[in-house]
Amino acid sequence: MQTNLIPALDPAPLPGPPWLFHVLWIVTFLIHLLFVNTVLGGTLLAALAGRTRAGARESRLFLVEANSWAISLAITFGIAPLLFVQVVLGRFFYTATLLVAWPWLGMLGLLTVAYYLNYVAKFRLKAGKDAGAILWLEALCFLSIAAIQVTVNLLHMQPARWERVADQAWVALADPTFLPRYLHFVLAAVAVAGALLAWVAVRRVAKGGEAVSCRGMASFGLKAVMISTLLQLADGFWLLFALPEDVLKGFMRGGAATMLPFVVGVLAGIGLLMVLAQVSDPLTQATKVRRVMELIVGAVVLMIVTRHQLRFIYLAPARASEQVAVAPQWDVFALFLVCFVLCLALTVYAVVRAVKDQPQAGEQAA
Amino acid sequence: MDYPIWDLAMGGGVLIGIVAITHVWVSHFAVGGGIAIALVETLAVRRGDAALRNLAKRSSLMLILISTVFGAISGVGIWVTIGLVHPVATSALIHNYVWGWAAEWAFFILEVVTALLYFATWDKVRPRTHVLIIWLYAFAAYMSLVIIQGIIAFMLTPGRWLATRSFWDGIFNPTYLPGLVLRTGICLFLAGAYMTFAALREREPAARARLVRLMAALQVVGVLLAYGGYRWWEAALPDSVRALFDSAKPILAQLAITRHLALWLLAGYLLLGLFALLVPKAQRWPVATLGLLLAFGFFGSYERLREGARKPFVIRDYMFSNGVLVHEIGEVNRKGILAKAVWAARENDGTPESKGRAVFRAQCASCHTLDGYLSIRALVAPVDADMIGGILATMREEGEEYASGKYIHDGHVATEQLDYPHMPPLVGTDDEVEALSAYLLSLKASH
Repeated sequence: MQTNLIPALDPAPLPGPPWLFHVLWIVTFLIHLLFVNTVLGGTLLAALAGRTRAGARESRLFLVEANSWAISLAITFGIAPLLFVQVVLGRFFYTATLLVAWPWLGMLGLLTVAYYLNYVAKFRLKAGKDAGAILWLEALCFLSIAAIQVTVNLLHMQPARWERVADQAWVALADPTFLPRYLHFVLAAVAVAGALLAWVAVRRVAKGGEAVSCRGMASFGLKAVMISTLLQLADGFWLLFALPEDVLKGFMRGGAATMLPFVVGVLAGIGLLMVLAQVSDPLTQATKVRRVMELIVGAVVLMIVTRHQLRFIYLAPARASEQVAVAPQWDVFALFLVCFVLCLALTVYAVVRAVKDQPQAGEQAA
Repeated sequence: MDYPIWDLAMGGGVLIGIVAITHVWVSHFAVGGGIAIALVETLAVRRGDAALRNLAKRSSLMLILISTVFGAISGVGIWVTIGLVHPVATSALIHNYVWGWAAEWAFFILEVVTALLYFATWDKVRPRTHVLIIWLYAFAAYMSLVIIQGIIAFMLTPGRWLATRSFWDGIFNPTYLPGLVLRTGICLFLAGAYMTFAALREREPAARARLVRLMAALQVVGVLLAYGGYRWWEAALPDSVRALFDSAKPILAQLAITRHLALWLLAGYLLLGLFALLVPKAQRWPVATLGLLLAFGFFGSYERLREGARKPFVIRDYMFSNGVLVHEIGEVNRKGILAKAVWAARENDGTPESKGRAVFRAQCASCHTLDGYLSIRALVAPVDADMIGGILATMREEGEEYASGKYIHDGHVATEQLDYPHMPPLVGTDDEVEALSAYLLSLKASH
């Protein structure tokens, strides 16, 4: 292994203890990923929804409207984990992105195109026009972004592959775990977006929404969850056994710390299938639909923990001699916390006030 | 630098410039637009003025499409680009300012949510709530500027940070406040320039003139603020930085031209603003377009000036543009640049030419390309072997002078006293310098 290709540690000390960055990284990445799943899965489902089935138009409209928020929030919540990965693993991360520099930069173009396509689709659907081709193009952009992200993620964990990738860029895709990992990402996204669609349909009916279209939305969403989860179980084991032998052994020997989140995550997936099998009419089984949502979010949380652990098992040999200096900036961290709490409180306040402060009949609106 | 080198014919600095200037155009509008729309809707509600309300409403879609879509993506774009072009500098900034960026991110959350909420709640909430939402947006957007300005200014004037390594000394550096005043002015005039187009869509002539005048006032105030901030910013720069572009004999003539251009563009823009303020009925979209172009021109020129004035550093007096640290010159001279630049060293197959090429990629490729931007082949073409040797020897001596502290005055390196004041010194072992010389001569032969 060409360990000498790993750049030197940054001479500046870490501005906080490593555990703090890990915690913040995982938490912010979870929020980012939930929005990313909504965007990627939502775009795919909107494209797949077609035009003819019951609730298809409503499904599409809801998903593109949700995405006009979710894309912004996915980008915004992506900033924090991007910061923390650079603090903890900057030298691995930068090298990986440089090895696939053009696709990494091109991701921005894809994101811009996809975002504006979503607005075009939204305005067309609202005007009663078709947006199928636009949605497929948007989905293609997001699928490409997912592939770039998976590639960089795999590369930054495996310095031993860097030299070969530097010589031949396509080798970046030749990792045996690339395909199962990519599928894992896409299937999870479909499941999250499907569950969200079903849950929203159930909520709409409860608030007096039209039953036929809502039933169509819910059935379509739950069907997407069912299919993607079944495939996910198979793909999950494919991914597990495609891992390099030393990584797999390290993971299996990690004891409760690694096995508990993994096993509970798999059980959440199985539990999800069992709940789905009991749903005959989603509109009258709102609790079960909510349970589907909860189990999926739970599985995502656990898989993020597993993913994080695997990353550091992969990197253990390359970081064995790493001596990180720490000089915490507690005062600045406290300022960050104050800003974060203040902004979060103001955000919630603004949303709640927007929901509640609606004008009465005859009263002037903004 | 010890990372893979991204071969970019246009030059990494140019790419950063394109992405950064595009981003600042929209991000400063996102800040100024928030303040301007908040002011306009507040006035609309207080006066019951339908034309002002329509101006705020018409401008809000643009705010969303520019701020939360393009601004957010191009903001991430800067991260991506600087990480690719200058990973060492990015890492240094992250290690010092991660909590500052995290605080800025907290304001982003409020900014994005309130922007989307504001647009989504037209005709759906009471006016007071709608006005509150846009003021929250304006607050969050401005706070993000307050934070990021510290990090941007730090790279040019790190100030006391060089001695203390303190976060606060780095953020509140000598050009922090002048730059903040300048950027506040830019935010206001960009908002006025953009929103003039929305004002011109008002059909009723008297109302249109009123809206145009309001936007012109915003632009004039912005220009005056920006001019004051700019002059303050120049005055706060160390002599060694000003010598690059603002002296009887500027070291970088192009930067001096950029400075003059920026000031003339601002003066022209001020005239157009005053014209719209005094004769708002005569305002038409071609004049408004010219005003917007002048505004862009000034801002782009200033950014070019600020970035160019960092030469030969990426973080002034701390890290050179090729990633070599000022304080590690002695060590690199002993161990060799290729012991540090592991990816460039990979291309060394043992021949003097390949070793020289590796040294070139380690030290020079961050600014010079082979045949594209600042082509090294074109630069060495008219120079003979003795001159190449002489230039390299002088640049190497300058490294030793940096290391000895000979040119340090008041904590700053007096780069203007060097023979190559805008270039990093040459560092490395004697063998590496000889190999570089051989490589440059081989390029000359192939020209």
